[in-house]
Amino acid sequence: MNRLHPFSAFTYAIQYGLLWLWIPVFLVIGLAGVFEPVSMAWLPFGALLGFLLGAAYGVVYYYRFGYAVTPDTFDVASGVFARRSREIPYRRIQNVDVRQGVFQRLLGLAVVTIETAGGGSSEAALSFVSKSEADRLQHQIRRRTAQVNGRSETPSTEPTEGEAPRERAESGEPTEPSEVDAEAEREAPSESSESEVPAPTEPDEAGRPPAERRPAPSTDRRPEPQRKRLFALESRELLLYSLTTLRPAAIAAVGFVFFLATDSILEVLLTISQPFGGPEDLATGDAQSYGVLTVVSAINGIVITYLVSVAYTFATYYDFQLGRVGDDFVYERGLLQRYSGSIPVEKVQSVTVTDNPLQRAIEYAGLWVETAGYGPDSSGGSQSAVPLARTAHVHRFTETLTGVETPKFESPPPLARRRYLVRYSLIAAVVVGIVFAIAHVTPLERWYLAAIVFAAVPPAAHLRYVHLGYYVGEDHLVIRRGFWRRRTTVIPYYRIQTVTTRRSIFQRRLGLASLVVDTASSRTFFWATPTIYDVDLEDARDTHRTGRKRLQSALRERARADDVGFSVDFT
Amino acid sequence: MESLHPRIRILWVAQTAIMAIVLGAVFVAIDRWITAVPTAGLVGVVAVALVLGAAYAIRLYQVWQFELQPDALYLERGVITFVETAVPFVRVQHVDTQFGPIERALGLSSVVVYTAGSRNADVRIPGLPPNRARDLQDTLRQLAVESEADDAV
Repeated sequence: MNRLHPFSAFTYAIQYGLLWLWIPVFLVIGLAGVFEPVSMAWLPFGALLGFLLGAAYGVVYYYRFGYAVTPDTFDVASGVFARRSREIPYRRIQNVDVRQGVFQRLLGLAVVTIETAGGGSSEAALSFVSKSEADRLQHQIRRRTAQVNGRSETPSTEPTEGEAPRERAESGEPTEPSEVDAEAEREAPSESSESEVPAPTEPDEAGRPPAERRPAPSTDRRPEPQRKRLFALESRELLLYSLTTLRPAAIAAVGFVFFLATDSILEVLLTISQPFGGPEDLATGDAQSYGVLTVVSAINGIVITYLVSVAYTFATYYDFQLGRVGDDFVYERGLLQRYSGSIPVEKVQSVTVTDNPLQRAIEYAGLWVETAGYGPDSSGGSQSAVPLARTAHVHRFTETLTGVETPKFESPPPLARRRYLVRYSLIAAVVVGIVFAIAHVTPLERWYLAAIVFAAVPPAAHLRYVHLGYYVGEDHLVIRRGFWRRRTTVIPYYRIQTVTTRRSIFQRRLGLASLVVDTASSRTFFWATPTIYDVDLEDARDTHRTGRKRLQSALRERARADDVGFSVDFT
Repeated sequence: MESLHPRIRILWVAQTAIMAIVLGAVFVAIDRWITAVPTAGLVGVVAVALVLGAAYAIRLYQVWQFELQPDALYLERGVITFVETAVPFVRVQHVDTQFGPIERALGLSSVVVYTAGSRNADVRIPGLPPNRARDLQDTLRQLAVESEADDAV
C-alpha cells in the first residue's frame, strides 16, 4: 500500500482540526446554559483541545489511508475507526482525472480521482499525491485498463497474458515500483516538453494541421502506446469560446457575492445610477428614479455576470489539449487549476454537438463525449472533446468519431409547433398575472404593458420547433433539440439502455408522442436524457421498434466483429 | 399482456387515503393556528382528493400492463402521461423483488429491474403475487445472463 504525499497529513490535520474545533465549542455553549460548573471561560481551551484532537485524527487518517495498483484492481483502504477497503476492477474504470489547483501547482501536488459508472460520486479520490505520482498512476491505470480490455477481447491469449502480471506482483512489490518510477520519470519530462510545443500558426480555415506524433522515448522496453495530439484549442478559439458561452456558475457566483455584501453593493449601484437620474437613497425616490435604478442595476448585473463568465471559461479551458494514448482520450486544460483526465474510448456512450445562437451565428460549435462516470465539472459524465471549432470541422470530427453518416433531419409535424404556441402563451399569461399581482401591492401602474411578452410567444414557439429534429441512421440515432443551447446527440444503437415512448394527456389528443432514448451517460440537471419530442405516434413507434431491433443486431455484430465502435483518431 | 394483481388497487387507494388524511391534517392545522377554514370546504377538498385519487388508482390499474417480449421487458403504464418502456434483457443489471409493509399485508410484491441508464434506470412492476414475482425475477435473470453483452459500462 502506498501513502499519500506527506503534505496531505498536514492538510488533513488542519481540515479535521478546524472541523472538530466546533464540537467542544458547541458543547461548552450548550452546557454552560444548563450546568452551573461549566463556564464560558472554558471556550478557548475547549476549542484548542478540539483542534488538537481533530489534528491528531487527521494525521492518523493520513497514516491509515493507503492505495495500491494491483494487477487486476486499484485498491484504496481508508478509515480510522471504521475501515473501508475498496477494490476497483480496471475493466470498470471510466476515467482517471488529475486536478491541480493554484496552491497545489506551487507545491507540485495533485488530486487524483477515479470514476466508475456506479455511485453518485468519485469512487476513489487521492488528495494529495505528488504530480509525478499522479501522472504515474494515471499512466499505470490506463495501461492496465487497456491490458485488461485487450485480454477480454482476445480470449485465446488470456491465460498467458493474464498470468504474467499476477506473477510479477506476487514475486515481490519492490520490482514493480522501481520499474514504474523509471517509466514515470521518462514520461514526465517528455510530457512537459510537449506542452511547450508552440501552437501551430496556420490559420484555421486551412484545416487542422496534421496531428503531431511525439518522438518515442528511445529507451522503451515495453511497447508503449504513444501520445498523439488530436486537438488543441487555439487562442482565437479560446477567446471566441469564452466570449460566446454564458456559464450558469457565473450567475450563481454573482448572486452569492451579492448575497454576502448586499448593502455595500446596493450603495455602489445607487451611486452609479445617480448620474442617470437615480434616487438620492433607497428610501426617497419616485417611480421614475426607481425605474432608472432598476434598469442601470440590471445592465450592471448582466455585464458583470458576463465578464465573470468569460473569465471563468477562459481560465477553465486555457491551453486545452486533447490527445490519445492507445485507445484512450487524454485531455488537459486550465489556467489556474489544471485538469488532466483520460477517457477510455470504449466507455464513450454518446457524442453531442452543442452550439448556442451566438456560436451558430459565427458558425462554430463544440463537441462533447458522454461517459457513465462523473466528470470534474458539474457537467456530469460529459467531457469536452473539442470546446469550440468551426461547425464544419466539428461535424467532420463527429462523423469520423462515431462513423455516422451526415444526418438528414426529420422534423416533428407542424402540430407540435401549435403545442408550443399554446404552452408559451400559458407561460406568458402567468407572467402577466404575476405582474398584475405585483401591481396590486406596489405603486406600479400600467401592469397591462406586460402583455408585450405575448409578442415573444410566436417566435419562441417557432424557434423551438425548427431546432427539433431527429435522424434514424444506419447505426446511429441522431437527436437535435434546444435553441439557447442546441444539442445534437449521436447515439449508437448498441449504447441504448431503454427506449420509452411517452404521451401526455395533451399529446394524446394531438396524436403525438415523445421518445426517450436512454443511455448510460450520467444524468445531470443541464443534460437531460436525449428525447425526440412531439413526433407522430406512428413515427415514434417506428423509431422505438427500430431502436430495439438495431440494438440487438448491433450487439450481435459487435460480438463477432470485436469493434470499439468509435474511431479514436477523429480530428 | 399481463395485468397486475387486482389487490394493487387497494394499495393505491390506501396510499391516496393517507395523502388525503395528511392534506386534511394540514387544513386543520391551518384552521387552528393561522386562519379559519370553513369546515364544509375542508371536508369538500379532502373528499374530492379522495375521489380523484381513487379514480386515478383504478384507472392506473386498468392501464398497467407488462409483457416479456423476445428481446425485452415491455411495460405500459400511466394515466396522465402514458408511458411505454422497453427494457432490453441485455441491459438488465440486476433484478430485485421487494415488498413494503402494506404490500406484505396484502400479499403482494414488486419486481424492480435495474439498468445502467440514467433515466428510468430502475423499472418497477408493482402488485404481483409473491410467486409470480419470484418467477419473473428468475426468468429475467436467466434472460439477462443469456443475452449478456460484452460492452458493459
